[in-house]
Amino acid sequence: MSKNLKRPFDGIVVCDFTWAGAGPICTNFLGQCGAEVVKIESRKRPDLVRKGGPFKDGICEGLERSGYFANRNPNKKGISLHMASPEAREVAVRLIEKSDIVINNFRTGQMEKWGLGYEDVKKIKPDIIYVTMSLQGNTGPHSSYMGFGINLNALVGLTHLAAFPGEMPFGTGTNYTDHVMVPTHTLFGIIAALMHRKKTGKGQTVEVSQAEASICMKPTDIMAYVDHGKVERPSGYHDRNAAPHGIYKVIGHRKWIAITVFNDEEWGKLKAFMGNPEWAESEKFKTLEDRLRNQNKLDQRIEGWTKMEYGEILFKRLIENGVRAGLVYDGRNVSEDEALRERGFLVNLDHPVMGITQYNRFPMIFSKTPLKMETPAPLLGQHTKEVLTDFLGYSKEEVDQLTSDGILT
Amino acid sequence: MNQEEPKDFALEGVKVLDITGEVGLYTAKLFIGLGADVIYVEPIDGSPVREMGPFHKDRPDREGGLQFLYYNAGKRAIALDVNRPKGREIFLKLCGWADLLLESFSPGYLDKLDLSHRKLNEVNTKLVHTAITPFGSTGPYRDYPTSDMVSAALGGFLYLGGTGNRKSVRAPDNQSYRMAEAHAAVGSIAALFHAGNTGEGQFVDISIQESVATALENAIQYQDLEGVCRRGHSMEEAGVGFGLVPCKDGYVCVAAVAWGNSHMWDTFVNWMKDIRAEGAELLEGEKWYSPEYRRTDEAFEIYERVVGEYMKKHDMASLYEDGQEHRVAITPVADGKSLWANPHFHERGFWESVYHENLDGDIIFPGAPYRLGECRWQVGEVAPTLGQHTREILENLEYTEDEIETLHKEGVVYVEEFEETI
Repeated sequence: MSKNLKRPFDGIVVCDFTWAGAGPICTNFLGQCGAEVVKIESRKRPDLVRKGGPFKDGICEGLERSGYFANRNPNKKGISLHMASPEAREVAVRLIEKSDIVINNFRTGQMEKWGLGYEDVKKIKPDIIYVTMSLQGNTGPHSSYMGFGINLNALVGLTHLAAFPGEMPFGTGTNYTDHVMVPTHTLFGIIAALMHRKKTGKGQTVEVSQAEASICMKPTDIMAYVDHGKVERPSGYHDRNAAPHGIYKVIGHRKWIAITVFNDEEWGKLKAFMGNPEWAESEKFKTLEDRLRNQNKLDQRIEGWTKMEYGEILFKRLIENGVRAGLVYDGRNVSEDEALRERGFLVNLDHPVMGITQYNRFPMIFSKTPLKMETPAPLLGQHTKEVLTDFLGYSKEEVDQLTSDGILT
Repeated sequence: MNQEEPKDFALEGVKVLDITGEVGLYTAKLFIGLGADVIYVEPIDGSPVREMGPFHKDRPDREGGLQFLYYNAGKRAIALDVNRPKGREIFLKLCGWADLLLESFSPGYLDKLDLSHRKLNEVNTKLVHTAITPFGSTGPYRDYPTSDMVSAALGGFLYLGGTGNRKSVRAPDNQSYRMAEAHAAVGSIAALFHAGNTGEGQFVDISIQESVATALENAIQYQDLEGVCRRGHSMEEAGVGFGLVPCKDGYVCVAAVAWGNSHMWDTFVNWMKDIRAEGAELLEGEKWYSPEYRRTDEAFEIYERVVGEYMKKHDMASLYEDGQEHRVAITPVADGKSLWANPHFHERGFWESVYHENLDGDIIFPGAPYRLGECRWQVGEVAPTLGQHTREILENLEYTEDEIETLHKEGVVYVEEFEETI
């Protein structure tokens, strides 16, 4: 094997049918690690999130202004292929012949309709890694059920527990499952399959149930219930092992600070930093058990102190004094954060329509094989001609013919 | 399962050394699933995770912490004081054995023990060394401490867990830590793949803060493109047809609109008509396709009267199945109990039951997070007791019986068998 590989997946080709959230985030990583990712869309069936906000300057026009779409799709080549027409399949087949991975996150059965289920694709490329990411897997009584991120969060138990006691559940406020739980597990399965293929020469399927992948990362409620019948209840922002453990108002619009104290030593440090106020010496707050029992009173006292402080200053000073605390960052704080900028987590790429806009690289720094953040998200069909001629060996005339036949729209 | 029995483990022969603390447990668990050999190094007096609840039978017990049992199933364990010279020596030998080292020490801690990545790389050039730290091993916050909620705050995730001027709620199960662990697994296996191709190991630097900031959906872009600091979506902003509705035994989550797709609303209304919800016809008409209309008081009033009243009379499970039969994106807002009652996961054989002899009972765990067509997945053997494999691991490193006993007496390692016989 060559020692000249600059990145883990240099030379790996991905035939990418994914859209919306979890799928494109997966192939985003493969692309950042050097894989050639060819994203298939069509004007008749564009990636849904091209119509999802935010939009450059708030203008929702056309399909090329969505930051939601852009951040999931850098470093990919985009081709437009009208899959509903039979001739399009032939183009997909040529791409699959050159691919190592075929991936989709459609509902179970869509790829089969195009004659591109695993059994078909295996005939085209016997050692293919074939990835499906349906909501609840390809088997079982609910395999055809539908849902969006908000539904999935609820189904797996995230929403119920992200709530203030006695109030309507709120959830994580995002399609969280799409962003971390589903793509990371899918990627782990894909890369393991690539390692297995290297050893044995065999391809295989990677079947992800988005629900099951998510449950694996939040195991406590189900384990506790089955073990001793206790239903875990939401606790707002509290924690069973810490007090104070809260979010407290500081000066400014929607500004808060998170302060977390797990033991008596840390409590001592916080008290000292506050100047050992008299209330803090009360028997009610002496041990962790005391503080947990009187947590709401404790929270009021702490907020009485923080609400007259500047969060930025308080945060740094608490840290210096050995108290684990952090500002509740909003989007602007994140995009201006020193650490995230200095470590190159935030990357600006120049997009033909949106101009220079912000992306995030995957959250890891490799010492020998740096992640690639080179090209912005593709315009719809931006690389159709290039991919068909340079990569799939179509002649210019053939491409013109396919174009006039409406296959490449 | 009526499929042919899959054959081998995808990661058979991959050797992992896991010396993580409260953050990092789940990373090695993912390797166990596919058959890797994982050695878990824990402090002489036990991992802090052993103290974490909930516990088996709801009784605090070092060997019965459900989280410890879940995250560490399938690992072999050595109890070792890496700060002692002889402990350090054992650790170096283990690094020579391993393909992957997972650690979560503070930045610079291993350097002080003369166990820097450079040093480890001299011992083992193909070693992948993954470090999970609060803010990364470089950068201005590298020495800052954290907790799960502090990371959620400084990664921007916590802000999204609320609306308007309200404070946020937390996601369960320390999700900031879980996010870092999941990304650490992906980075590690990608680096192992590279090492397999080239013989070249490397350092993989995982920041919990960055891992969290990956989960912001579009919040960074809202700020960048529109100058808007978004939070979670409130019911008022979303309008009717998107979000939770109270039902007889809890809540259901309905998505009857998405990205201006009018077809979904019609499907939803057809369901309401089909089950003869009183006043269902009031939900018909062009105006309901408009997000602006769905945010009006009138829309909320009608939705509450028609949909709200119907849902109140029915339970989660029946609304879920009936709604889905009508092609509506509706799901239960599940808790531990209703998750266990859901037939789908049982029928797919998702839950794993593992008999724990020392606890004299079965524990139920979530099973495979994905399925490979040609390879096996396993939940793994019962999680190790403190020092359970210390002797076996030292023997593999060619320590003699006498040496092992001395190491135990000196407190460099803890050997479970010695405590039992002495």
